[in-house]
Amino acid sequence: MKPKHIQHLYRRVGFGLLPDQLQTLLKKSKAHIVDGLVEASKTVTPLRVDTSEIEAVFSGNMMVTKKLSPESRRKIRKLSREKQMEFNLAWMERLTDSTEILREKMTLFWANHFVCKDNSITYIQQFNNTLRTHALGNFKAFVNAISKEAAMVKYLNTKQNRKQNPNENFARELMELFTLGEGHYTETDIKESAKAFTGYSHNLRGEFVFRKRQHDESDKTFFGKAGNFSGEDIVDIILKQKQCATFICGKIYRYFVNENVDENHVNAMANVFYRNYNIETLMRYMLMSDWFYDKKNIGVKIKSPIEFLVGLKSTVPITFKNPKQWLYMQKLLGQILLNPPNVAGWKGGKQWIDSNTIVLRLKLPSLLLNSAYISKVKTGKADAKIDFKKAVFNKKYGKRFKADANWSYFNSHFKNVKMSELETHLLACKINDNTKAYLRTLDKPSKQEYSIQLMSLPEYQMC
Amino acid sequence: MDRRKFLKQSSLASSLFLVPSFVRAFEEVASSKLGYKRLVIIQLSGGNDGLNTVIPFRNDLYYKNRPTLGISKSNTIKINDDVGLHPSLKPLKQLYDKGYLSIINNVGYPNPVRSHFRSMDIWQTATDSNKYSQSGWIGRYLDHYGTHPHSAIEVDEKLSLAMKGETLNALATQDAKSLYNLSRDPYFKNLAKHQNDTHLSEHNLGYLYKSMIAAQSSAQYIFETSKTVSTKKEYPNNKFGKQMKTTAQFINSHLQTKVFYTALDGFDTHVNQLNTQKRLLGIYAKSVEAFVDDLRAHNTFKDTLILTFSEFGRRVSQNASIGTDHGTANNIFVIGENLKRQGIYNNVASLNDLDDNGDLKFEIDFRTIYATVLDKWLEVDDKKVLNKSFKQLDFI
Repeated sequence: MKPKHIQHLYRRVGFGLLPDQLQTLLKKSKAHIVDGLVEASKTVTPLRVDTSEIEAVFSGNMMVTKKLSPESRRKIRKLSREKQMEFNLAWMERLTDSTEILREKMTLFWANHFVCKDNSITYIQQFNNTLRTHALGNFKAFVNAISKEAAMVKYLNTKQNRKQNPNENFARELMELFTLGEGHYTETDIKESAKAFTGYSHNLRGEFVFRKRQHDESDKTFFGKAGNFSGEDIVDIILKQKQCATFICGKIYRYFVNENVDENHVNAMANVFYRNYNIETLMRYMLMSDWFYDKKNIGVKIKSPIEFLVGLKSTVPITFKNPKQWLYMQKLLGQILLNPPNVAGWKGGKQWIDSNTIVLRLKLPSLLLNSAYISKVKTGKADAKIDFKKAVFNKKYGKRFKADANWSYFNSHFKNVKMSELETHLLACKINDNTKAYLRTLDKPSKQEYSIQLMSLPEYQMC
Repeated sequence: MDRRKFLKQSSLASSLFLVPSFVRAFEEVASSKLGYKRLVIIQLSGGNDGLNTVIPFRNDLYYKNRPTLGISKSNTIKINDDVGLHPSLKPLKQLYDKGYLSIINNVGYPNPVRSHFRSMDIWQTATDSNKYSQSGWIGRYLDHYGTHPHSAIEVDEKLSLAMKGETLNALATQDAKSLYNLSRDPYFKNLAKHQNDTHLSEHNLGYLYKSMIAAQSSAQYIFETSKTVSTKKEYPNNKFGKQMKTTAQFINSHLQTKVFYTALDGFDTHVNQLNTQKRLLGIYAKSVEAFVDDLRAHNTFKDTLILTFSEFGRRVSQNASIGTDHGTANNIFVIGENLKRQGIYNNVASLNDLDDNGDLKFEIDFRTIYATVLDKWLEVDDKKVLNKSFKQLDFI
């Protein structure tokens, strides 16, 4: 396998590849490398923060009464906010460090598919691990598990969906966003299927509860079939539509391959997926396909803020004095983990970029890694003042971002990389000719300084 | 050349040119000298319940459908014998009394889609409900008539689809100063200087370069122009209040911006709607009140038109959670000093003639409102922007 194809693969199923890691993969075949990725992701390592304090409040209360006192409620809300922040940071660490690369990238993908948010860390943590558990499993089991998650039951009001007065929110999004896509069902299908999900609820602990007395036992007519369908029956009928496989494959294609869809490739994927809705099989098929490595698919996607931040810190580890700054970065760039804008999630692609975010993205590498300083001295003129300039910049901007960059980590992984090769390791696409001409006029005082120059380019935003 | 420039130039060059447009052309030249007309769009995201906003308090069907959700007659701010406003909209009633408000009812589009995102897209792109577009209506306005990205500004963190054109995007900023500070690095200035147009048309990468260059030049202009004006006016201390305050600052510093866009989120009220809507409409009305006062104090209100919309109204009947599910037609607020039709533009919806889903039937296509605003207020060719001809209304 060619180095650029291995890098492409790892940029898409992960967040990039360090030069020495690439070195160890160079002699392996495509099948070997893809197998390795899939095998490494067989295990599921749940992501957890310590929530015992919250659970203690819960259990203490539940002994006496089913309802929480206002005081406990406030306490839980406060604890939950703090813990949710902690969970966000733990997730970022996981994305940077995990060996289950494919599973973790898929978890991130599904989090923007089965979009959900909640203010309870207990429910959100459970939901997040359900995404992780099913990320490479069977899609039918996945949809059913999601439909019974406390966070989702709350978020899309299935909890309020009762026989007497159905609430259609979940039924609608199930079809529009989770399985079929807009336009592939009727308003009647929504109304009828909402009846099938009546009675879905959860208890305080976040366990699924089916409230039989609130369930509508009447016959429902759904996609031309009639019967006393349960929620699971509805999922069954939906998945029988080939459109469901096509819809999911289209979304996976746009996320992992290219926003411009090649319908032939998506249809081929859908044929594989439709057989048994096994996600791992589908991913293996996609990653083994020659077209995945087509030139037109390499370096053409705009990184999401998380891809950008995690990628940056996988190359040069960054430690904030106050780790909450990572959340602030996410906010400024437009993607806060666990806090999607709405149930449709982030649109991605060009939508990540506007005047604010482009400016910040270009500036961040120098802000975080180089005391806000980008070396831009013309070749031939010595820049003896680099350290002095950095100190000046640091004084000016350092207050906003108190971060330490671990350059020795970078140095050890990039030890055998020549200055002229840095570009191929840091950038997924070719540098625009005009920019190249400008860069040539600049001095490259060190690998470190040149890397900052490269990371401050629009090209670094591509993957 | 666009129609406006064409007319202006032709009318200046030769007064015998194109007789039918002749009078109109002179009007345009005159109006552009008199002032600089701006449009401010406010989006109520999530689908505001229009029936509890403009309330048919005399209609029994209203209370029958909403036994615990209906706003009682005594709480309604009456504006005529049949219709009243939500109690949170008191500031709006004051605008109404001064003749600054026009309420257009039953606004929607054929074959309504009850999905937030799809319906929002439809409102923002102004396309038919079965068609998709990557550009928004203000974006296409920019494509044809904009000169800079800051010809239209979204005072928010992100840019809405409405503001994205095929060739030109509007600019999103909440804070002109920090945007300027970030963009002024000489390294980026040099990068920008070295680009030429051929590479900027390349797909995603070209888009990034274009965005970078546009951000640099506009950030400087906006910051330097707007820092000269500050306001003493009190705005509600929340995100939307701040957005309206920034918008006023931009307008009052006479930024060369034709369209401003802001949004207030949270109107998706499936559950316990009463409190949520009360709070949100309160934020909306108080902010708009402060905004109008601020503009009037700076003599810029006369050149400003404010348009408020939501992607759909909600179902007529309340649901079991004392909320409402997604519906269809809704009301629109037009606020300005020079309205031709003040007050209630048309009657509120009929509650005994609903569609199969139990939703209101629309009477006015929202695009006829866009067409009117484009033609009569922004004075451009509405057909070019909307890709279709719509009949126009006479509220301005």
